[in-house]
Amino acid sequence: MSFIVVENVGKVYSASAGGPETRVLEGVSFRVEEGEFVALMGPSGSGKTTLLTVVGAMNRPTEGSVVVDGIDVYALTEERRADFRREYLGFVFQQHHLMPYLSAVENVMLPLATVRTPSREKRERALTALEKVGLGSKAARLPNQLSGGEQGRLAIARAVVNEPPLLLADEPTGSLDTRTGEEVMNVLLDLNGRGQTVLLVTHNPDNAARAGRILHLRDGRSLRSNSNREMVNSRGTETQLVHG
Amino acid sequence: MRISTIAWANLRRRKSRAALLVGGIALGIATAVALLTLSRSISEEIGLQLDQFGANIVVVPKSDQLALDYGGVSVAAAAFDVGELTDEDARRISEIPYANRLAVVSPKLLGAADTGGRKVVVAGVDFESEYALKRWWRVVGRKPAGPGELLVGHDAARALGLVEPSAEDTSQPVVPTSANTVDASQHATMSAEEHAAMMQTAPPQHFKLARDRLDLNGREFRVAGVLAPTGGRDDALVFGGRAEVQALLKRPGRLSLVEVSALCKDCPVEDIVGQIAQKLPAAKVSALQQAVRARAEAVGRLTRFGAAVSGVVLIIAALLIFTTTTGAVVERTKEIGVMRAVGFRRAHIVKEMMLEVLAVSFAGGALGWAAGAAASWALMPYFSQTGQGFRPDASLAALALFAALAVGALSSLYPTLRASRLDPSEAVRHV
Repeated sequence: MSFIVVENVGKVYSASAGGPETRVLEGVSFRVEEGEFVALMGPSGSGKTTLLTVVGAMNRPTEGSVVVDGIDVYALTEERRADFRREYLGFVFQQHHLMPYLSAVENVMLPLATVRTPSREKRERALTALEKVGLGSKAARLPNQLSGGEQGRLAIARAVVNEPPLLLADEPTGSLDTRTGEEVMNVLLDLNGRGQTVLLVTHNPDNAARAGRILHLRDGRSLRSNSNREMVNSRGTETQLVHG
Repeated sequence: MRISTIAWANLRRRKSRAALLVGGIALGIATAVALLTLSRSISEEIGLQLDQFGANIVVVPKSDQLALDYGGVSVAAAAFDVGELTDEDARRISEIPYANRLAVVSPKLLGAADTGGRKVVVAGVDFESEYALKRWWRVVGRKPAGPGELLVGHDAARALGLVEPSAEDTSQPVVPTSANTVDASQHATMSAEEHAAMMQTAPPQHFKLARDRLDLNGREFRVAGVLAPTGGRDDALVFGGRAEVQALLKRPGRLSLVEVSALCKDCPVEDIVGQIAQKLPAAKVSALQQAVRARAEAVGRLTRFGAAVSGVVLIIAALLIFTTTTGAVVERTKEIGVMRAVGFRRAHIVKEMMLEVLAVSFAGGALGWAAGAAASWALMPYFSQTGQGFRPDASLAALALFAALAVGALSSLYPTLRASRLDPSEAVRHV
């Protein structure tokens, strides 16, 4: 069984103040195997981030289901879904969303704050994660004392500190220049090389080309009439997400 | 790293906001503490001053006889040999469960005695109790020191020719001046012993006794002192030792009435009356409702005023916390979204935000109590006529801290719960 199974997912945002409803996703289906590095591509407004948050147990789909490691994510209660995110998922956001008042090592420890583990052990795990992304020597620095690339790597360290089976990254290089973006991509590839499953949202073809597989999302509402299935091709080739 | 680490770090980051909140809470608590302390002190003072008005419970025999009026109180059959109380009855009053609330128990026997062919009303009293009960008494001369000595009311003394104007002031023969007497406010802080000592050591200077001997029922007594005018029934009485008067009137061990002062702060007077009545089923026990109600009303008004103003100030502090916390939720929406995304439960978000509010509230409460106590200490002399100083009150400190924490927790509950319900996917995209 695939590690991630997304079946016929649709998402409609409710109307506000009498405006029209907005359908962002419709009939999206795909699968991701354990250890894969999958890039999710598409133009702006195509629903990439929404799809990522749906897979990330943060955004209940209007229809369809998301199963991760055999767990039907949206069958869980709100609080159990929070536990699921802590245990199964690591998030890397485009703007990194680091806590400006916490040091680098404290930022990395954030997902462990609610875990009943001795503080010393939490710190050791955070330092190990920082070492993985090459920031071991900058553990005491505040985020604003780090470069853009370092902040991106710090966000990745935070995402992997709890050793989640799945890493979700939402355009982590989007706000970075080419060189620092490269730094971040190298870290993600390195993690994937160690068996980490990665789902990367990007509109950068170069980054997508480095992924094992590409899922292309074109306008969450557009439909392809010829198929209602995901075409899985070989590594490095583009896969169209099709809608039924 | 714990949730408390995040809360503490966030407080350190937003020092000015934390300081504003601490200041707001401290101001509210300080106002409440100062008002409560002052109103409590003033209430005690009013209670104490009203206590100087004398007895508020009178115990008399049950009787259908025509009553002799005494001090505005009906003294049943005081002049008749029916239904008298006994010394044992007076002793039993001190055995009631609320005995510790009884300030003074003053038994007395009233009766008529003959002096040179004239009738006077003689009261047999325990002088120490009587002085404690009637702190407004001013004695010209000295208080009776032993057997055979009397204290005579002003009108009685004049009628019996016991006093005459002094050389210094012939027009106002028996009115002592402030130089030789002490007023009631000074008495308020005195013990009975101090009061007695004062009367002995500060004799009036514009008054003198014309003679100091008085025959009662054929027995000669020495007049130790004369009461300055009280404006009451005491002016017409002759006071002697209780046992001596009982012997003089040939009513050994008998009493006409017992006056009780139970006017301590928040005394359950009605309960005390009930307990005395239970102890003395043959007696009629009456509370002087007017004095009790007046005191309760005065104290109640002050307490209500203090509570109302404190409540308003605390509500303002609560609104400050509410708006500040609501603002913080909006400002921290993205952070909250990130925390939710990395696995924080709703309860964890509530805990994190509550820890911040409670830490600030605790600091505000402690600071507020200290400021309120300091303000009370500084203002007390302007509000307290008796000069009673500020007394630190541990229970008030605990109440201040509890109030600060409660106000903080309640006023931030809604914004905190709202924060915990933020949709994480929306929150991380919040601009």
